[in-house]
Amino acid sequence: MDYGRSDLAEALAADYVIGTMAGGARRRFEALLPAHVELRRATSAWQERLMPLTAAIDPVQPRGEVWRRISDRLDRRRSVVAGAWHRLSFWRSLTGFASVAAIGLAVLLASPRPTAPPIVVVLAPTGAAASGTSAAPIVASISGDGATLVTRPIVPVAAQPDRSLELWAVPRDGTSPRSLGVLPSGSGATVALRGKVLAGVDTLAVSVEPQGGSPTGKPTGPIVYAGKFSL
Amino acid sequence: MVKATADWSERSHDLSRLLARAGLGDRAAFATLYERTSPHLFAVVLRINRDRAQAEDILQEVYVNVWRAASGFDAAQSQPLTWLTSIARNRAIDSLRRLQTQPRMRASGAPADGRESEDDDVYDTVADDAPGPLDLLSRAAEARALAACLDQLSATQRQSVALAFFQGLSHAEIAAQMREPLGTIKSWLRRSLAALKSCLQSAVQREGH
Repeated sequence: MDYGRSDLAEALAADYVIGTMAGGARRRFEALLPAHVELRRATSAWQERLMPLTAAIDPVQPRGEVWRRISDRLDRRRSVVAGAWHRLSFWRSLTGFASVAAIGLAVLLASPRPTAPPIVVVLAPTGAAASGTSAAPIVASISGDGATLVTRPIVPVAAQPDRSLELWAVPRDGTSPRSLGVLPSGSGATVALRGKVLAGVDTLAVSVEPQGGSPTGKPTGPIVYAGKFSL
Repeated sequence: MVKATADWSERSHDLSRLLARAGLGDRAAFATLYERTSPHLFAVVLRINRDRAQAEDILQEVYVNVWRAASGFDAAQSQPLTWLTSIARNRAIDSLRRLQTQPRMRASGAPADGRESEDDDVYDTVADDAPGPLDLLSRAAEARALAACLDQLSATQRQSVALAFFQGLSHAEIAAQMREPLGTIKSWLRRSLAALKSCLQSAVQREGH
């Protein structure tokens, strides 16, 4: 079957998401998802359409026991998880937080493949009027694999009291920017790790948003910092 | 924009950050994520699989999976609450489909055959005065731009959508429950979903997004 055909993908995804697809077909469908972009697209579109219906269901508090069981299972996985923390330590160390020894350990534990060097992006002020932004740039470093991003203002930044500064990944194909989160005020570093969120992206930008970030998921205020890069 | 949709996105906004932290292995962020979302996900699972003990097992599986998959969550592709709810519904539906080969399965909120022989403590079900699938659908319609779209469906079409979505019933189970031929149910659902889709799309265009 040609799963790239959008009418077929639509019908299958709708059947899957609403839940009527039979057991064997569900498993086949799930197995097809990773390889078929059209199916994935149709599936997430149907999920976005239908899942808000569940907001009508009254919440039910699970027993505390359930969290204890989840927590126990995660403890047993701790050795695997250590990799992720050491990876984080590695990038922190580049901004001066961790020791050289930690880098060695992190590389040993987390990098079976050679680690590509990080990319540094300078986000220069755009000159758009906004108090709290300064003439000094914000620096972002992106891990070689594009999975980790650390931003750090050169001088402390602060938006107006009822505003937040939000960081965006801007795709080069002109599609909507993706939020990488709200920058903390002051000089703190932020870490965003979002899987493949930087794929196809060639610009990082910071916009002024209502406190807590854009309510729409897209930039709503002026872009006050921006920087181009290539992965 | 209608309030419930805004709430959904707003909650999602905070949850994005928690998920990102959880993806880095931050257990405290994951605990907060669990606190904020587990009552919703548990309720969604319980609607579909009313066996409380099984629903708890499903919830446990859901969050262990979320923990593993958190770093792969792509905020550009979907809202966190949509993503989490989808995982929970899928697990719950899978559990029902598996049960279909077992004698204890029951198709809907109607009392199961031979239930009197079951230990009620083990088979701890949701209270019977819980809102039915159609009640939930009309509640959802109040809260969302869906109202006008759902109105365009016939009563039977609405019922088939509600049974499928909220109870996780298969085509055959909906056909049995509504006493209609399987083919009729399939075409009702197909047409209902197509109508909902085009109606929602034009609603979004009207909102100017």
